[in-house]
Amino acid sequence: MLSEIQRIKRFEVLAREYSADLFRYAMWMCGNEALARDLVQETFLRAWKALHRLQDEKAAKSWLITILRREYARTFERKVPPIANLDTVSEPESGEPGPDEQAEVSLLRAGIASLEEKYREPLLMQVVMGYSCQEIADELGISKNAVMTQLFRARQQLKEKLGKDGTTGNVHGLY
Amino acid sequence: MDFTEFKRKLGAEPRSSDPEFLAARNASAEHREAAAAAERFEERLEQALDIPVPSDLAAGLLDAPGRRQRRRRWPLALAASLVVAVGAAGLVYRSSHSWESVEAYVLDHYRHDGAKVLELAADGPAGDVQEVLGAFGLQAEPVLAGMVRLVKFCPAPGGKGAHMVLDTESGPVTVFYLPGTRVNDRQMIDFDGRQAMLVSLEHGAAVIVGGTGRSPAAYYTVVHDAIVPFDRRS
Repeated sequence: MLSEIQRIKRFEVLAREYSADLFRYAMWMCGNEALARDLVQETFLRAWKALHRLQDEKAAKSWLITILRREYARTFERKVPPIANLDTVSEPESGEPGPDEQAEVSLLRAGIASLEEKYREPLLMQVVMGYSCQEIADELGISKNAVMTQLFRARQQLKEKLGKDGTTGNVHGLY
Repeated sequence: MDFTEFKRKLGAEPRSSDPEFLAARNASAEHREAAAAAERFEERLEQALDIPVPSDLAAGLLDAPGRRQRRRRWPLALAASLVVAVGAAGLVYRSSHSWESVEAYVLDHYRHDGAKVLELAADGPAGDVQEVLGAFGLQAEPVLAGMVRLVKFCPAPGGKGAHMVLDTESGPVTVFYLPGTRVNDRQMIDFDGRQAMLVSLEHGAAVIVGGTGRSPAAYYTVVHDAIVPFDRRS
């Protein structure tokens, strides 16, 4: 049984370690900052209440994402919100991309937002959350092969999107 | 692993550590070229997905209902470290935002984390005002330094600014320092039931945001006269 101090410390670690990635994940799923923030808040609130059930620290990430996905499903049971234009958000400070790179990033953001959820979600799990294909398969309850197919198609569609919009030479170098 | 299978794996799991896949990356010039292109795409994909996170997200989680009371008893060091984290994240979040006017900035900034920073200040003092202002070549006169309850870096129209909470007789007062920004001295802004006053300084500007229904004008002189360049401290 956790003491209150241990519980607080453990929660603090979880919040610091995973809140940013969970927010990005939620943001890409629902496309709205206020909703994404609520989803993350609700996820951590539930995590706080059920912290004693988390036996293995290594399972924390998947435990949190499961809670968040459940919350997301509950929130949007009847209505799937359109993904907002996430390109309006600013770039992170580091690496100052040039105009070509910015154009590619803009196209990619639009492409990711327009992906069907069955393609977007495994891609987010892999790139944002750092899941392996097997972990994605376990989370989504589908086979590893199905996950690999979805990931392949997700990337294919994004590459096609970049190609179709025919932007800079850099884009063609991405293939 | 033949090239078709290699391409499939590249499209599905380009960062796989599977030894067979890793070995295949160097199997031929064709393999190497495909792997390099996939790597370039992954880098761009990561950039696209890496959207900024609100600066006050972590603080908001720690303030969640049911935990609020406990957090208030947490050690000062934790509150201070949180302020630093919130400040650093805030800089990234707003780093390339621009505001149409100082008024727009004040509204955006205060609505974004004004209340949250006041809450943090209520938990205990945090930050070193001389250190933060020192980053702008400035110092706080003792009259101001003695009032600063919390100070941190924050986003500002010119890039980085300072966010302070002053302990005053009439309650906490928020002050933003905006380096290199010109404002109409003593101009008032009304928003959300509170008032803000713009203060023109020699090397920038400050904004004093009063509490609900309280005028910030009483603190004009201390802010105007007590944020001074290093070489002008009395």
